[in-house]
Amino acid sequence: MFSQAAKAISSPVPVEWYPTLAVVMVSVGLMLTASFFIYEATTSRRNRSLAKEIVTASIASVFLGFGSLFVLLASGVYV
Amino acid sequence: MAPPLRLAALLVVVVAVFASAARADLVISRADRKVDLTSHIVRVLTSLKVENAGSEPVSKVLLAFPNIQAKNLAAIRAFGTEGKVKGLSSILPIEIVEPSGVPPELTFFSASLHKPLTKGKILHLDVLTVFTHFLQPFPEEITQADSQLVVFQDSSHYLSPYPVKVQTLSIRLPGGRVESYTKYGNTKLVDSELKYGPYEDVLPFSYNPIIVHFENNNPFAVAKELIREIEISHWGNVQITEHYNIVHGGARLKGEFSCRLDYQSRPYARGVSSFRHLIARLPARAHSIYYRDEIGNISTSHLWSDSKKTQLEIEPRFPLFGGWQTTFTIGYGLPLQDFVFSADGKRFLNITFGSPMEEILIEKLIVKVVLPEGSKDIDVSAPFPTNQWQEVKYSHLDIAGRPVLVLEKPDVIPEHNLHFQVYYKFNNISLLIEPMMLITGFFLLFVACIAYMHTDMSISKNSPSYLAKLQWDEVQATVQQIQGIFHQCLAVHDKLETSLHDLSRSGDAKSCKAARKAADAQFKELAKELKPLLLSVQSSPQSYQIWPKLEDLVAKEREMQEKLMARHATVVDSVEKKQRGQDIENRISSQQQKIAALRQEVESLLEYLSEI
Repeated sequence: MFSQAAKAISSPVPVEWYPTLAVVMVSVGLMLTASFFIYEATTSRRNRSLAKEIVTASIASVFLGFGSLFVLLASGVYV
Repeated sequence: MAPPLRLAALLVVVVAVFASAARADLVISRADRKVDLTSHIVRVLTSLKVENAGSEPVSKVLLAFPNIQAKNLAAIRAFGTEGKVKGLSSILPIEIVEPSGVPPELTFFSASLHKPLTKGKILHLDVLTVFTHFLQPFPEEITQADSQLVVFQDSSHYLSPYPVKVQTLSIRLPGGRVESYTKYGNTKLVDSELKYGPYEDVLPFSYNPIIVHFENNNPFAVAKELIREIEISHWGNVQITEHYNIVHGGARLKGEFSCRLDYQSRPYARGVSSFRHLIARLPARAHSIYYRDEIGNISTSHLWSDSKKTQLEIEPRFPLFGGWQTTFTIGYGLPLQDFVFSADGKRFLNITFGSPMEEILIEKLIVKVVLPEGSKDIDVSAPFPTNQWQEVKYSHLDIAGRPVLVLEKPDVIPEHNLHFQVYYKFNNISLLIEPMMLITGFFLLFVACIAYMHTDMSISKNSPSYLAKLQWDEVQATVQQIQGIFHQCLAVHDKLETSLHDLSRSGDAKSCKAARKAADAQFKELAKELKPLLLSVQSSPQSYQIWPKLEDLVAKEREMQEKLMARHATVVDSVEKKQRGQDIENRISSQQQKIAALRQEVESLLEYLSEI
């Protein structure tokens, strides 16, 4: 049998926060995605700055990635 | 059809005195047996008072069972205390032994004492034995209207390698009809309790067969196979999925089944032997509970929960009669912190082994513990022997797959619902693999978009339309730059405006002049930047549409600049000459209107350009 020193393990983020985190992170991610595509569509090919594109894309993908993870967790798909 | 007496008869033959010298040392001064026949799992609690009558200390007590009973033995546990009065008892280890010189029809178990029993000392030994498939339905086939009758066979004497001084046997029946029972002297049936004994001074290996034939309509729920999958997610959940294949293990149904007429109208009179629901006791805080089979959700279930447990009552799609079977799946989630712990650098899962269903016999139980991806050093500690092996399962967002520890055990009864532990090592960094995969996925999507927007996909590089497009791109880029410059100009205009506001408040004409000078310099600079851009637009053949607008814009902007400067100069002059505010307002009011109109025009032109 296990000793009394055993410590319960809980999730890194409280489970109750998952729905809120999912909504917030996905919406921020989608806004950044929107700004990325607006930039792609409105700036002419010569004036486009690759650095700006990459930075927007990476921030958007971080938010979308964590957001979709929390969407999965909040909906009961524990990955 | 003869009653199933053959097996018992066979055993009578076995009854012989095999009292070897070593075993004769022990004497059982009292043996009380309580047999519980209320469900289909037979539980026998034997309380023994063992006395060492010899001179040598004894460290083992032998327990004997006929082979036909031993093969149905699902669990045996012994608790012992030494001394005159019963105190706190401790579990004694039990192993199967084959002593020499005993009949092959008997199986022996030996309970090892923690310390040897010396001469004259008394040991209180409680032995709990649980048997499955012990009750034989008789008749073996019944109609829908019949009750289920079963036969129980045992010995009225306690089968033991030691002499027994005093003994009793009491059998608890489920109530209802008792068809027949073997009557000896000292046999009593009171309510639903059948008593044999007390018998005194019985020789070793004495076997005195009894048969009880009685009604038992309790559900004979037997799971042919149960696969229990326990999946740990360190994101906060232990998901349990149980796949049942349940059969009614009692007397088979013969003849036709009439649902509408008989079963639904008078279920208790016309289908007593069937069972229509099962009860599962799930742990507290179980959530996301579902109950379904291959066709989909089964809606006939009820759930109650309190702080200690969650009770789930499920009804299969049809009532189960003898020999009928059904398959279904139940699943539920449990909070991680209730079942997974860490100690000494390792993590472990601590959860019950068997099924949460009440009074169910599982002929083959497979428990699969799915550990998170990246778990290492997997180790298990179970309170009974099991077959073990490892597998790999691929689930959501997996690369290498999740390690699965499989435990298999036949004949599992509710007594096996003990906690077992699975130890493993897991690093919390591995938790980030899944979000990283998602992030990489999204990022690759963006990179694909960037690449698509940056590459030139046209096939013919010198067709007129392609060249025109290139030129148009160039014009567009230049126009965007020009727009930027104009926006800067407008910003400078705003700056001048604010400097005038400051002047009206502070009256500091010097700083206002300085602001004008700076603005003038900025205008010149911007004009210098603008010139080559305008030229390039003008020279491009694609600009015929835009050029007039651009010219207009440049002219308007210049005019606005001049007007602004003039107004600025007038205001500063007037302030220096200490004129009244009202006069200044009057002097510049016409200019003010023009400037406002110009600004509007410039802005609408800029908007027009940005829409191209």
